[in-house]
Amino acid sequence: MNGILAPLVTGIAQGSMIALIALGYSMVYGVLKLINFAHSEIFMMGSFFGLFALQHFAGLNPVLATALAMILAMFGTSLLGITVERFAYRPLRGRGKSSLLRITPLVTALGASVFLQNLAQLLFTARQRPYPRLFAQTRPLIFATAVVVMIALELVVKRTWFGKAMRALSTNEEAARLMGIRTSRVIGITFAIGSSLAALGAILYCLDQGDAYPTMGVGIGTRAFVAAVLGGIGSIPGAMLGGLLLGVLGELVKFSGFEGSVDIPVFIVLIAVLLVRPAGLLGSTRAEKV
Amino acid sequence: MSALLELASVTKYFGGLCAVSDVSLAIKKNAIFGLIGPNGAGKTTVFNLITGVYKTDKGTIRLGATDLLPLRPSAIARAGIARTFQNIRLFGQLSVLENLLVAGELTKKAGIFSAVMRSRHHHADEDLHLAEARSLLEVFELGDKADDASTSLSYGNQRKLEIARAMMLKPKVLLLDEPAAGMNYGEAEGLKKQIRWLRDTFDLTVVLVEHNMQVVMGVCDEIQVLDHGEPIAYGTPEQIRTDEKVLAAYLGDESLAMGQGTDVPAVELPVKDPNAPEAHS
Amino acid sequence: MDSAKQADESKKGHEKPRSAKDRFGGAIFVVGSLLVALVAEFLLPRLIEDSSVRNILMTICCNAVVALSLNVINGMAGQFSIGHAGFMALGAYTAALIVSAMHTSFGGGTLPPTSFDHDYLVAFGHSFAIVPVALLAGALVAALFGLLVGLPSLRLRGDYLAIVTLGFAEILRLSVATTRLGNDETVGEAVHAIGGPNGFFGPVFHVGSVFLSSLGGKKGYSGPDGAGVPLYAGPFWVIFITALVALVAWRLKFSGWGRALRALREDEIASEAVGVDPTRYKVTSFVISAFGGGLAGALYAIMRDGNPVVQPDSFTFQTSFDAITMVIIGGSGSVTGAILGAVFVTVTVKLIELVQHADVVQNLSSSLEAHGFSLDLNALRMMIYAGVIIALMVLRPEGVFGEREPFFKKRMRTREGAPA
Repeated sequence: MNGILAPLVTGIAQGSMIALIALGYSMVYGVLKLINFAHSEIFMMGSFFGLFALQHFAGLNPVLATALAMILAMFGTSLLGITVERFAYRPLRGRGKSSLLRITPLVTALGASVFLQNLAQLLFTARQRPYPRLFAQTRPLIFATAVVVMIALELVVKRTWFGKAMRALSTNEEAARLMGIRTSRVIGITFAIGSSLAALGAILYCLDQGDAYPTMGVGIGTRAFVAAVLGGIGSIPGAMLGGLLLGVLGELVKFSGFEGSVDIPVFIVLIAVLLVRPAGLLGSTRAEKV
Repeated sequence: MSALLELASVTKYFGGLCAVSDVSLAIKKNAIFGLIGPNGAGKTTVFNLITGVYKTDKGTIRLGATDLLPLRPSAIARAGIARTFQNIRLFGQLSVLENLLVAGELTKKAGIFSAVMRSRHHHADEDLHLAEARSLLEVFELGDKADDASTSLSYGNQRKLEIARAMMLKPKVLLLDEPAAGMNYGEAEGLKKQIRWLRDTFDLTVVLVEHNMQVVMGVCDEIQVLDHGEPIAYGTPEQIRTDEKVLAAYLGDESLAMGQGTDVPAVELPVKDPNAPEAHS
Repeated sequence: MDSAKQADESKKGHEKPRSAKDRFGGAIFVVGSLLVALVAEFLLPRLIEDSSVRNILMTICCNAVVALSLNVINGMAGQFSIGHAGFMALGAYTAALIVSAMHTSFGGGTLPPTSFDHDYLVAFGHSFAIVPVALLAGALVAALFGLLVGLPSLRLRGDYLAIVTLGFAEILRLSVATTRLGNDETVGEAVHAIGGPNGFFGPVFHVGSVFLSSLGGKKGYSGPDGAGVPLYAGPFWVIFITALVALVAWRLKFSGWGRALRALREDEIASEAVGVDPTRYKVTSFVISAFGGGLAGALYAIMRDGNPVVQPDSFTFQTSFDAITMVIIGGSGSVTGAILGAVFVTVTVKLIELVQHADVVQNLSSSLEAHGFSLDLNALRMMIYAGVIIALMVLRPEGVFGEREPFFKKRMRTREGAPA
């Protein structure tokens, strides 16, 4: 009994961190219907920003240093997210739905991701940089942060003007614009929020798991995206649920003595879920108007 | 004479909203059948149910002896139902001729392997469809525009091309979704002639969703009126013209009372789908 | 005016004799490329003594196959697959295994150098049995996986294919790279354990692990004895296969099938309304694309002057991204564009490898590293590619050539499309 408890706890901690990153995918998808491939690289950049900040504040109280590092990293990634949106996505908007243009946002998203990853490769070199070990126990911190963020975000989306604008935009961009919503600003804020959550997740991840390196975004990013799709992309509770499921599943698989990569069963579960519920567990489909 | 296209108690819900409620139609072979009603009455939804774009919740739809409900849209097209769209849907990057040739694809005998080997079958198919497509373009007076990009056509010609493309399927039933939208009086008169001519020449059955009463009253044999997804009246144009329920439904819409066309393109109110994902709930 | 009858008449009238070019064009192309390939087989080693230069030429061919196959799904069908490296890996490993096994059954030994002697001709003769089997097997395995991946994901909204293919390729690579059991158990022994005291499923999984482990992990597969995969595909095979693939890609594009794909890409609902089944067309094109990817990988694995070790590192995301770059830069949907894109990307990659190893760059690089930066020219190249691709998407989303075929007068119309 005790045997299975440990992987469950680890899984929940892992999962809530994945969920933080999944939220970024989900929010952007909700608003732009776009897989923001660059999100995983923003996560990676976030972990570097956090690392540099922590190194700078090395003498301070660990809690204070972490808090400051989080704020700085979140600010940095927000700027980065907005920049990516400005240069890679915004010029494509409002171009209509001509056939050749349908995959262009995906291509630029992928391009932005490759760009950032290789930029990190050049600026920070490919080597792994260890994070300082500040806390003996990081899991409760991860879990608590994730829950607080989730609730805050849900409140923002449901209760504030911004949330309302975001939902309007998600339903019908053109109508939202005609109703006087400044869509570009809403999209920018969405990117900023999603990116800062990625930085938060990145610092928590590194405090827990150790190193920052330029290709770290690929694995975690893919898993977070899978979590977002699994839970129902565009849905905030869905991202949380998907993240938790994925975290627990991963740890249980390790626990069962499976010899291959954890990603294999995760991937199989994704395909199975999509076959039964194409919109994910908590998502819903919308029929195209004909 | 039994009906060719038969809808029995067809019902469609979008979430809690009943878009089409208990609609039954029996459309005879070679009829020109009108489906009318105010905006949001569910006319286009009926087309989408017949062609399988939406799944029917209750009821049956049959074409002759074939049950259409389990079929995918592409299979329904193969079964003999062709349609046009309210907001014209052409293959923009393809030429006018190619738009027609795509529709020939489904009667092809030669498969993809044959296309790679450029077999005799492949050439026979291509020649056959090319000849058919060219003669259809002549019929619709688009012959000289065969190699133009389909997006470069005028609005009226785009509508014609859409009908020509539908005819390429050699359908038994042709569903026309507001073919007269945006047409002036003269063009609408021409359209009436074309619809009759199509029916006679190609042994067709035509179902027409239309707001232009000049066209509907002038060309239809029978008319079904829908309001808020429910059937409210059925009969010949004369019966419909004087039906009180219909007048009530159209209250304020003078076009019916006057029997005159309106050339304001009718915009269907978007039916809100409560299933649609709420931004972030 | 009886137009139905009219159509009937013009149908008959249209069966006019085809021009010689139409009737024999394909055959002439095949025979021609066969001759060119044969000449290249015997002349290339003489004309170009430097094997690394020959390697560039052969790699261009392989990459042309990569680009042409990816173009089917990304360009023609307008679906976004970003895991082409996965299919290449499947083809490469399959072909390497088969070639090694067949080579052993033909007597083994090292392949003779490229000269006109008896041994060389015998080996060239053997390649006619070995290479087609290996290539076909590699392509078919990839196509099978393409079906498995494509069938569930292509029924869904477009974006899902992207993520599913990405995940598929990465998992495949990681599975091979990380599975090292460290004992000498053979696959045969593991199979014998199925149904034994450990039951069924455990041992079946174990067979999979033993098999993956036998592929050499991160170090790669280098034949059963570790002496390298015998590289049977000389210039003849590489050039001939590339020419065939180009012909098939061309014909697919200019066929009713290609037209239906383009229509589907334009408007899915309208194409369904004219009888085109989206799922079938998408899945078929994805499987064809995977088949081509497997073929390219197989060719790459057994290409002479190539690397005799098949490594997971040859099939990273970067490989997939390079393939996407080839298709997009040339112009999505353009056959010629894909080939030119392949040439461009291959040459720049090889040039950068050369420059990176130059002394000046090495010196500069080490002095930069002292300051905490790295001069990774390949990363710089990827950054530039990514920047160019973003700029291209913003300024000219159709790529350099769009769907057009430069150098060929026949534009986007069918062969018969000229006014009758």
